[in-house]
Amino acid sequence: MTLSEGAIPKKARTASVDFDALATDLVKNFSAGIELPRSDAEFCALALRVFEYQFVHNSTYQRYSERRGVTPLTVSAWRDVPLVPTGAFRHLDLVAGEADSVEAVFHTSGTSTRCGPPGRHLIPRLSLYRASLLPPFKAHLLPDTDELRFISLIPSPTELPRSSLSHMVGVAAEVFASDVHWAVDGTGVIDRELLAAALHASSAESRPVLLLGTAFAFVHALEQDVLGPLPPGSRIMETGGFKGRSREVASVELYGALSGTTTVPIDHIVNEYGMTELQSQLYTTVLSEPTLEPGGHVFPPWMRVRALDPSTLEELEEGAEGLLAFFDLANAGSVCHVLTEDVGSVRRGRVHLKGRVVGAEPRGCSRAMDDLMATR
Amino acid sequence: MFQSDGRPHGYAMSHVFDAWVLPPGAGLPNAPSLSLQSGATPMRYLDADPDWLGRVLDALVDSRAGLADRRASDLCAALGSVGERLLDPHDTLRMKALEYLPADSGLSTEMASVVLDGMARDWTEDRLRSLLDAEFADASCLDGFVEHRGRTSMAMGPGLSFQVVAGSVPGVGVSALIRSLLLKSPTLLKPGRGDSVLPVLFASALHEVDPGIAAALAVVYWPGGSEALENVALRRADAIVAYGGDETVAALRGRAPVTTRFVAYHHRTSVGVVGVEALEQPHATASAASVASAVAVFDQRGCVSPRLVFVEQGGTVSPRAFASLLAQSFADLESELPSGVLDPAEASALHQLRGTVELIAASDAGSESGAQIHHGGDASWTVIFDHGPTDPVGCLGRTVRVIPLMDVEKLPELLGRLGAHLQTVGAAGLGDRAKKLASSLGRAGVSRVVPFNQVPFPPPWWHHDGRSPLGDLVHWIDLESA
Repeated sequence: MTLSEGAIPKKARTASVDFDALATDLVKNFSAGIELPRSDAEFCALALRVFEYQFVHNSTYQRYSERRGVTPLTVSAWRDVPLVPTGAFRHLDLVAGEADSVEAVFHTSGTSTRCGPPGRHLIPRLSLYRASLLPPFKAHLLPDTDELRFISLIPSPTELPRSSLSHMVGVAAEVFASDVHWAVDGTGVIDRELLAAALHASSAESRPVLLLGTAFAFVHALEQDVLGPLPPGSRIMETGGFKGRSREVASVELYGALSGTTTVPIDHIVNEYGMTELQSQLYTTVLSEPTLEPGGHVFPPWMRVRALDPSTLEELEEGAEGLLAFFDLANAGSVCHVLTEDVGSVRRGRVHLKGRVVGAEPRGCSRAMDDLMATR
Repeated sequence: MFQSDGRPHGYAMSHVFDAWVLPPGAGLPNAPSLSLQSGATPMRYLDADPDWLGRVLDALVDSRAGLADRRASDLCAALGSVGERLLDPHDTLRMKALEYLPADSGLSTEMASVVLDGMARDWTEDRLRSLLDAEFADASCLDGFVEHRGRTSMAMGPGLSFQVVAGSVPGVGVSALIRSLLLKSPTLLKPGRGDSVLPVLFASALHEVDPGIAAALAVVYWPGGSEALENVALRRADAIVAYGGDETVAALRGRAPVTTRFVAYHHRTSVGVVGVEALEQPHATASAASVASAVAVFDQRGCVSPRLVFVEQGGTVSPRAFASLLAQSFADLESELPSGVLDPAEASALHQLRGTVELIAASDAGSESGAQIHHGGDASWTVIFDHGPTDPVGCLGRTVRVIPLMDVEKLPELLGRLGAHLQTVGAAGLGDRAKKLASSLGRAGVSRVVPFNQVPFPPPWWHHDGRSPLGDLVHWIDLESA
């Protein structure tokens, strides 16, 4: 494991993989929708192509992989592609290719309980992001309709251009919104008049609404009493967003209160789980598969999720709780295989989230969870 | 957390440890005891309620009169005799401690033994007498009025002490209860998880030796943050001693009456410094071994455990090469003092840290200032060499950053950011610069500068966080005659 001093990495292979060709194939794959299952072989073939591209075009990741004895020539399973911890996004630009020619840079905000710099994810091709976000959004939030009015308690992408969540909602709104009402500003402050007008108009016209927000925003909106009944057919997308513990699974109480105020049935409140470090999102299936037992999040077929033993990082058996690791083909422009600090299990193709890994009790005078690594 | 029954495999129910010792007459709470299902410690604790805890405190307060008649030297003898049992390899008390300690604390069996030796060494009669002598010009001031330099005074311990101890380092709970009992103060000790075994065994053994003293001691574990319980003790105690992270200590301090003596042992950070004089071979290898050992004891959970090691440039062995020596020392130490178990959060944080630093190292590999990482794979030891700023890494088993230093005199300035949390500086190779550096480190907030081999176990009379361990607790009564 010891890193040998002065080891000079091999030059990148000259046979460079063309990102446009790769991205085109991935977009084609994503566009086939989420219903069509991809075989493991198909997934693996794409995963290894993507890894080769990243290996060749990201010298940092190349050396990191080589030190683990993994190269495109030696690797035969996507599971063996070296994992990158989410924490690394806070210190390095993990982009395959030129960092200065990327189309977008998304920053994490409060996705970590730690201090230190925010993470950032460089996105070479927004088209790939778009292709990965639209089919699951449609399937899980609009399975029964092509268009809805959007009322968003998530700031618009104009307000927060560095937020991947705002970008996602912006892209989805372009495609699926009849009209969109951005009801908060960039700091999350609710525009009461705008919101009241949008709610009033929807009721008057009996037009169903997709109300979007973070758990944090919904808690505030309920406290400020700015929400009201939504017309039948409305639905809510809630995404983790409590400050400091952003991906905490929202509480039953919140959903109860939200449902009570908006009259949207609890089985029409969809939870979205995503993070800046991953371009694909996971959703609960209350709308898309109402007959199935609720619980768990589904991931798109271009993603694989595993629960790993927190000590050994060995893959755990079905249903066992561990650290979640994601292989997201939509991350082709950066790194696909990402190790998170989130705990959950994977059962029958669904991820059951438990939240962020925390110690039972803080360990006294030597806090274990101090900031890990200095700013660079 | 990751096992269905929450217990390590192969752990039989008969090993369940009852985490309480009560004064006679206190009785048990009405509710049945509870078992801790998560984590590595199969522990049973009382389902305490505020009324019941109030009765325990009544019993403790009742014991004060009996304790006041005892001489401080008798207390040293009684408490010291229990300490000596814990050092005796043939004593059942020590055997029991070593049986339960690894599961309680998460330390390896070998480490548990080293920690018990290091801690209990300070609990013998001789050492306790030395503690009294170091703290008081004449320790009989605890037994009656004493004239010293024209002043006639007597020192009195708190009417009731409430000690809230963190679980990070086993043994701290016993040292804490000894401090207040030596001052004849009835004591409620709430141990932390991971440090329940030693105080419970100590208190039980004290009952055998001297029931009168033991009647002034209650050890009761409950999961931290139970405000209703804590408030009972916070309101009744005359002195509160809180060990723990800043948030834990702040939460207790905020709820304590303003009139109550409050001693805070909050979060602390310790570092090491290696000067050029320790960087000539063969001394450099020995220096690295002593640094590794200072980090490894308690698996770095002590407030004394170094988290950053500053290595002076200009010696035969460069800071980068010293990091390699340190890595080798950690690897060697693994057979003698194996790493303990990291909890899932720590293990996760260590994976995040290692992966991140490996990527950072890969991003500037080959450059002279490039970061470098060495680690033990499944063993937790991790050595990071870099030129970054002086933020300490988390205590994740045995994880240190080695940072090159132009001149050791620059150290106090570099540590400035850590100021209020600084504690120990382990030192080697400073030669005659040691004293001057120590005083400027003191101004930077450091309270202890010691050779690395003494880092883990300060003597009982150390100025704990720069304060007087007993002096902080007593109140003085002066008697002036006409």
